[in-house]
Amino acid sequence: MDYKGLAEQLVKKCLKKGADAAEVYIENGRNLSLEVRKGEVETVEEAASYGAGFRVFLKGKMAFASSNDLGERALEEAIGRAIEFAKITTPDPNNVLPDDMGMTEIAGLYDPQIAQIPMEQKIDLAKKIEQLAMKDSRITKSDGARYGEAEGEVVIASSNGLVKSYRSSACSLGVSVVAEKGDQKSSGGEFCGARSYKDLKPAEEVAAKAARDAYEMLDPRPVKTPKAAVIFHTDVGYALLGGILGAVNGERVLQGASFLGKMMGRKIGSELVTLVDDGTLEKGVASEPFDGEGVSTQKRLIVEKGLLKGFMYNTIVAKRAGVRSTGNASRGGFTSLPGIGPHQFYLAAGQVRPDDIIKATKIGLLVKEVTGYGINPVNGNFSGGASGFWVEDGRIAFPVKGLTIAGTADEMLNGIEMVADDLDLSKRMAAPTFRIKLLQIGGE
Amino acid sequence: MKFQGYFVEDIPRRKFLELSLKGGVALAATPALLRSLLAGDTASRPKVDLEDLNRVIRHALSQGGEFGEVYIEHRISRTILLEEGKFKSAVFGISQGAGVRVLSGDKTGYAYTDEISQEKLIRAAEVASFVARGAKTVKPVNIKVDSRPSYITVKVPLQTVADEKRLEIMKRAHDAALAYDARIKMASINYYDEVRSRVIANSEGLYLTDDLPLLFFIVQTLGVGSNTSHMGRERLSRHSGIEMFDELKPEDAARTCARESIVMLEAKDAPAGKMDVVMQNGWGGVLVHEAVGHPLEGDNIARETGVFVGKLGKKVASDKFTMVDDGTLPCFRGTTNYDDEGTQMKRSVLIQDGVLVKFMTDILSAKQLKMERTGNGRRESFRNIPIVRMTNTFIDRGKDNPDDILASTKSGLYVQSLSGGSVNPTTGVFNFTCREVYLIENGRKTTPVKGATLIGSCLDVIQGIDAVGDDLDFGPGICGKGQAAEVAAGQPTVRIRGINVGGSRAR
Repeated sequence: MDYKGLAEQLVKKCLKKGADAAEVYIENGRNLSLEVRKGEVETVEEAASYGAGFRVFLKGKMAFASSNDLGERALEEAIGRAIEFAKITTPDPNNVLPDDMGMTEIAGLYDPQIAQIPMEQKIDLAKKIEQLAMKDSRITKSDGARYGEAEGEVVIASSNGLVKSYRSSACSLGVSVVAEKGDQKSSGGEFCGARSYKDLKPAEEVAAKAARDAYEMLDPRPVKTPKAAVIFHTDVGYALLGGILGAVNGERVLQGASFLGKMMGRKIGSELVTLVDDGTLEKGVASEPFDGEGVSTQKRLIVEKGLLKGFMYNTIVAKRAGVRSTGNASRGGFTSLPGIGPHQFYLAAGQVRPDDIIKATKIGLLVKEVTGYGINPVNGNFSGGASGFWVEDGRIAFPVKGLTIAGTADEMLNGIEMVADDLDLSKRMAAPTFRIKLLQIGGE
Repeated sequence: MKFQGYFVEDIPRRKFLELSLKGGVALAATPALLRSLLAGDTASRPKVDLEDLNRVIRHALSQGGEFGEVYIEHRISRTILLEEGKFKSAVFGISQGAGVRVLSGDKTGYAYTDEISQEKLIRAAEVASFVARGAKTVKPVNIKVDSRPSYITVKVPLQTVADEKRLEIMKRAHDAALAYDARIKMASINYYDEVRSRVIANSEGLYLTDDLPLLFFIVQTLGVGSNTSHMGRERLSRHSGIEMFDELKPEDAARTCARESIVMLEAKDAPAGKMDVVMQNGWGGVLVHEAVGHPLEGDNIARETGVFVGKLGKKVASDKFTMVDDGTLPCFRGTTNYDDEGTQMKRSVLIQDGVLVKFMTDILSAKQLKMERTGNGRRESFRNIPIVRMTNTFIDRGKDNPDDILASTKSGLYVQSLSGGSVNPTTGVFNFTCREVYLIENGRKTTPVKGATLIGSCLDVIQGIDAVGDDLDFGPGICGKGQAAEVAAGQPTVRIRGINVGGSRAR
């Protein structure tokens, strides 16, 4: 089906029905997911789906409607609903659509081969990764291995004359296992994602990580509640990054609901803190040629050597702030209005090796799992559950569980004193191993 | 992605995926599927008759398998946002589709389609039948119209409500929040309603159809002090008509929310370490929803990974602890007439006076465990396989006086409200982020503290509950387990001895 043609035609229909300006966003695609447990296929899910979202503007008022019924009557109704709904919202001169006609060239976002690979091969891959993860005798139970794939097309057309589309694909592979010893249970899981089937990490590597995460946490010991250095493993970098993301959201900044709102151009972290948002990385799992409303994506420095350099904007919020969109309009699919979100958001790699950080730590906590919401984007407070390893005299001493760590974003970002070189960009939010000078740890 | 993490969301998702229904009796079906839902509200309505559905089910089981099912869904939703004094956006959604499922032994095959036509349903049945190739087949029973009692009543159906009425309700909350205190600098009011229509037909001969309304109203307020800020939150939700707001006043929700924002501006750093915790009645029940409820879901029992495996009939908690999942509480957020597999809603006592007596199940785990179906098979939408989920889950009423519970606690933490948290159902280790918390000093609530996290393990917590009040109350929320589900969580005031609190200062 010619979705571009349909999108353009639907824009015209919106205007004909009374909109001053309109945008049509169409998604279509297919997905497959399968789960294997104890060597048998447990679940197979497959579907193709599509849908359209209509953003309409009427004398500065904005509303939105979506439908996954692309029949003529349903589309008519959805457009009518959007226009009726626009009449009740508040007019705002900032309610505009982008007019960026460009597209960022990014290679490797779509692999047409995925669909050609037979289902049996994918099932075998899931069976293999489960088997590999169960290999170690300390691993007693499987919580299943999963393979998933999706591919699809995004089409945007608007009354500003913009018509764009791109195709993308994604594969994922993961496994979860349980290690038991006496009454103890410990779970571990690992997952990897890529744009292409052949770029998935080797099953051996993913399986070994899942198993290790489970068994190495057996026999934990209690610790007292000191203030000590805290080393964040690459698995838990998101705990630092998530709250910062909320705080550099341009709309939160305008609302006064960001702890970074008044810090533009000022020092918010140590010299080692450089945060990047990149929507342009080749084969990147978070890359796209244009954002959720059609603005070309970029690679931007959000924090450079500790100085806050940029917030994130979509078109409407950018206009309100008097700046240009940064290509950070994010969409939860065809059913939602564009919000603000990151692409690949990461802490830039440093120079030392992760081992060097452990060796340089006299006493501290290496965190491998953090639970909770991370840094609060409104006030910068941080508190969460933690487990990992106790470090003594430059060596990993024993596993620790059921701890808490707490502090403020200020203490955390300014306290970063070592950053390793092990950045892995196969996940959307990523950080290399890094050490924070001192955080409050809670234990027994 | 960590597969094992279940969670309750703090902030409502941009796109809510919830349910709802028009009340009355679960309606008897007419030959044309999906009766007119809401006058003028639906787009093209799919036309499928019973014999067509029989054919799809037969096709689904043609390769083998013992259970075949068709689930058809239609949903109309409205989301309106009032923020910074402006009605910023209004979003209207029309969603429809159907899923076909085949169960064969422990295997599940599933396929769905956005287009509800005989051709697409047959195609979905073919895809779903893949897992059952070569297995033995059960001959499907022809479907027959059935009905179930209803726990949802509606006085003023959502589809008859003018948008102006919705805006007025939102404005009342917005104005009340800003009027509460000059330090409230912003209010954000999110209004959501939907009507979800379901058709469930399966190879056991079941055919059910109904319409579920749902309201979800979220107030957030930003309090700004001299050196800190705090975002408060309050939520209202029911399966109900718009009359919900006659009883649950938007102004009251706004003031409750604003009060939290202001109080927390004075908060000091929370202490770290083990201490006694008194939790106020209401949404705090989400702690046992996570810590105890998820591990009691039959899927992880059938997989033999859960923390309660092998513990049925055993003493797992203190004598004072009784926990219930009840999908029949009238109009509650977690209530439906029957679950998304058509099983009658029930009140299930899971732990009685400390003894584990029941697990929650869906059709698959009930079969695997050879246990009764408890009506906990739920799905986010037609795009999802039903899985075991909670409904309205709570610690049952006890006999202690809530004031006495506080007065008899020498020192510790008083948790007035929680944001949400998560659990690892294999290990039972959970964490919770607190919203509004106070120190307890000599049996009295004193200074508010910020940034407190509660962590612990499921079994320690339910063994450590030594006081249970007589003031049971509930709150609405969203539960995530790969899929979103609307739930309620509840509890009376309780005291938990020796829970680990993550704060930013040493005691």
